[in-house]
Amino acid sequence: MNFRSQQAANRRKTIGLLVGMGVLVWLVALAALTYFGQSTTAIVPIAVGIALISVWGSYYGSDKLVLTMTGAKLIQESDNPKLFGLIQEITIASGLPMPKVAIVIDSAPNAFATGRNQDHALIAFTTGILDAMDRDQLQGVIAHELAHVANRDTLVSAVAATTAGAIAILSDMLMRMMWFGGGRDRDRSGGNPILLVFSLLILILAPIAAVLLKSAISRKRESLADATAVAFTRNPAGLRSALEVLERDSTVVRQKSNSIAHIWIESPLDAKAVSKMFATHPPIAERIAVLKAMESLN
Amino acid sequence: MEIIIVLGVIALVILFVVAQYNRLIRLNISVDEAWAQIEVQLKRRADLIPNLVESVKGYAAHEQSTFDAVVTARAKATTASTVADTAAADGMLTQALRGLLAVAEAYPDLKASANFISLQEELATTENKVAFSRQFYNDNVRELNTAVKTVPTNFFAGFAKVSEREFYEVEDPQDRKAPSVKF
Repeated sequence: MNFRSQQAANRRKTIGLLVGMGVLVWLVALAALTYFGQSTTAIVPIAVGIALISVWGSYYGSDKLVLTMTGAKLIQESDNPKLFGLIQEITIASGLPMPKVAIVIDSAPNAFATGRNQDHALIAFTTGILDAMDRDQLQGVIAHELAHVANRDTLVSAVAATTAGAIAILSDMLMRMMWFGGGRDRDRSGGNPILLVFSLLILILAPIAAVLLKSAISRKRESLADATAVAFTRNPAGLRSALEVLERDSTVVRQKSNSIAHIWIESPLDAKAVSKMFATHPPIAERIAVLKAMESLN
Repeated sequence: MEIIIVLGVIALVILFVVAQYNRLIRLNISVDEAWAQIEVQLKRRADLIPNLVESVKGYAAHEQSTFDAVVTARAKATTASTVADTAAADGMLTQALRGLLAVAEAYPDLKASANFISLQEELATTENKVAFSRQFYNDNVRELNTAVKTVPTNFFAGFAKVSEREFYEVEDPQDRKAPSVKF
């Protein structure tokens, strides 16, 4: 597959997964109505509202928020003209505006991009990645990060986080209602018992399913960013060898918070993830294999 | 009732025409912008050359023919205006600069000088920027030309006064040379 069909496939899969999220919210609402009766109608908008407020505040200020959470420091062109030159190359290749650039003082090689849109984009690099990589490798990493900006991945992950958050709040509220015995309409207890058991199962399993879907979306966006990066540089070898450097390196970025682990090019958490299904990134070996396949096309 | 349907259909048709027209105009403007970016990057590279030539001259004054080739190519590149001329001059200059850097290889003192190292990095990034602005321009031209040739946008191309644009193709002798095989 070349980068164009890679991009198309990853976009399609993201849409499919987001639709899956929507279906899940709908299922939970339906299960709540079946189990508790009409008294729960108001709960769905409340849960979605809470999730919206908590996620979209951080989405709107993501560039500033992430700076404080990672300890990244903004730099100017005079601080690192070589890095700025490399970034300008990719902005020309992609037609994106120049992003803000930041450095994280950390010897583990890593990088991330954030910002609510291309005019508020921020890309950051650890001092480790700047030391460990040559020109072509860094160019690949920068292209990957700017690909996240071009594909609006901060928005996609905010949407995913909102729905997953809403589902978590919803099932939490319903579980509490169950605990305190409130809610369920005893007068209409003629309901189908199989349906009731089903509803209960959905309420219990939905939050896990939502987290799985959120991780799956994140993995698809990573693959998409790899493909888009190749669309920018037309040089899969650069990003491939950069990923090989990350694969060989076993150091992990020191984080102040796990809540933003997913934004790095190499996730600091996935190594510890219980299974591939909860990982926010595809296995690095798999990403390298896809890029190698693109190389052989040239 | 029928009036509403008729008006609705007319409104949809107008919206459709406006959307096609705007798409063509937008694509055409993108090509213009991409072209301007190429010119900016070529100018940057042209501005870099006198410094580079001077710094190599300091160590290798007798390589006059290499310097002449660079200076001539640079003069051609700064005066070219059409897409084809600019592309041809661009290719020549890239070639001449390669020759200059090859000369520099033979002078270890020059290669080690801080000034040359920073010029070399600047030249490397500028060459990449030139290459990427070409690629971006050609992508935009490809999109415009596809729109001009395919249904439904092709019906509005004449009306919008948008026509196919020329690709930026650099003649690089090195790309054409057949690989030499030795047994």
